[in-house]
Amino acid sequence: MMINDHLSTDLLVDYLHGELAPEDDALAHAHLASCAACRREYDLEVSLSETLRAAARAEEREMPSMISALIWERVRGARPGPLARVAALLRPMVAVPVVAALLLGGWFASPYSHPGTRPTVDAMYYLETHAAQSGSPLSLQPGPPALETSMIDGSTSPLIAEHVESSHVTDALDAAF
Amino acid sequence: MLRSDRLTGALAALLVLAAPSAAPGAQPAQASPTPAATATAIQEDPSALLRSSIDAPRAVSYVGQFETVRFASSRASATIVKVEHRAPELTRRWYVAPEALYGDYVITRGISTYQFDTKHSQETVTHGPALDDQIAASGNFDRVLQNYRAIYDGSAIVADRPTVSIALINKYTGERAMRVWIDRETHLILKKEEYHANGAVAAQTRFEDLRYTTSIPSDIFSVDPPAGFARIAGAAVATPSSDVDKVIKEAGFAPYKPKELPQGFDLRSGDVTTVNGVRTLHLLYSDGLRSISLFENATDAAADFGSLRPKTITFEGHDAQYVEDGPTTLLTWKEHNIYFALVGDLLRNELVQIATSVVP
Repeated sequence: MMINDHLSTDLLVDYLHGELAPEDDALAHAHLASCAACRREYDLEVSLSETLRAAARAEEREMPSMISALIWERVRGARPGPLARVAALLRPMVAVPVVAALLLGGWFASPYSHPGTRPTVDAMYYLETHAAQSGSPLSLQPGPPALETSMIDGSTSPLIAEHVESSHVTDALDAAF
Repeated sequence: MLRSDRLTGALAALLVLAAPSAAPGAQPAQASPTPAATATAIQEDPSALLRSSIDAPRAVSYVGQFETVRFASSRASATIVKVEHRAPELTRRWYVAPEALYGDYVITRGISTYQFDTKHSQETVTHGPALDDQIAASGNFDRVLQNYRAIYDGSAIVADRPTVSIALINKYTGERAMRVWIDRETHLILKKEEYHANGAVAAQTRFEDLRYTTSIPSDIFSVDPPAGFARIAGAAVATPSSDVDKVIKEAGFAPYKPKELPQGFDLRSGDVTTVNGVRTLHLLYSDGLRSISLFENATDAAADFGSLRPKTITFEGHDAQYVEDGPTTLLTWKEHNIYFALVGDLLRNELVQIATSVVP
């Protein structure tokens, strides 16, 4: 495009909407300043655009305020359905902590996290049952042979407990011999 | 029989023949006169004297004090107990030592046992049908004579009473397993020593003081809970059955049995008990004097040693744990998803050898 060439209608429309390349936009601007014919054409295009905008604005209708209020009330009062709620739970911000909590709970509830809660058999049961059933027919005293085993604190055998001092043994041996 | 044994036996027999005149001051209140024929048999046969000693507590009443010392591999422990016994089946034992048991007492009335824990004001009642089975005791004694030879082994004064000593010698190994000192007049056993296979003393029980009397007040044997005491039922005592096949079916799993046992041992009884929700099979092996218990469960339930301090031992690639309760050793391990517990008055290496044969 040269500065003295008249502007075509397409160029004028593009110029009007600012869609020309910078150098073409500069040439078009300079030509309109010196060419009365193209200026009239440009003004006509501007006038036509303003008329169309005015007509479009005239077509707009605002929604009645009562209807708008009812719609917003329905939107705010609407509860999500089951699927929507499940979908909400699956959002990472919710799902990740929930899954982590479930895993931790499962671990602490399982016997592997604390084997002390697994069923066990009291070792004293083995010793006491053996003592009760294995009595020799040759005994000093009638009755079960090892009741001492279950007497201390209901669980600890004096025959095993550390607090049976060796002095008992020494005294007993001294008395025996 | 070894020549020395014959000599010892002959000397002991002579001592026994002289015994009645050598027992001045012995005044058993309830000892029934022994028929002459029976006395002769006893003097000639130590086994007859042993058999008579089993029934003696049912015939004589006494008060006294005895002490028991039990020897573990590296230490020992003792209890001292005052006892009142009124024939045939009332007994009260009152603990003097150790301190942790001081004041506690146990009353036995036939098959029932009442333990009085004075520190916790608690009376525990246990009924053990196997405890008073005289037929079973007689059967056990027959088993003793199958596996052990009884010989006279000298005489001694125990609790100011003249006694005759009898040793029981294992017929298979020639080792002395037990020695008892029997009151010459009442035939009550006044002292007993048990020995390990290596000859070490495993346990000793002896009367320090003894007086025969029938004047024991009935109140002594009262089982009414003292004021402030709570009475509770003791743990259920399993009733052993000689029908082991039936017991094994009740267990609900296929158990293992030891393939190697000391000579003279055989399977005597079995029982199934639910302990802490765990179905537990118990097989009892015995040679009459010594016993071995094998416990099994298939529910992944290990032994809870509580305040006991188990040690670890390895055999056949298994990490086993064991504790010693005087001469008694408890060995536990897991194999083929079964938890085993082996208990016996045997040396630890003997138990390990048996354990190794359970699942070879």
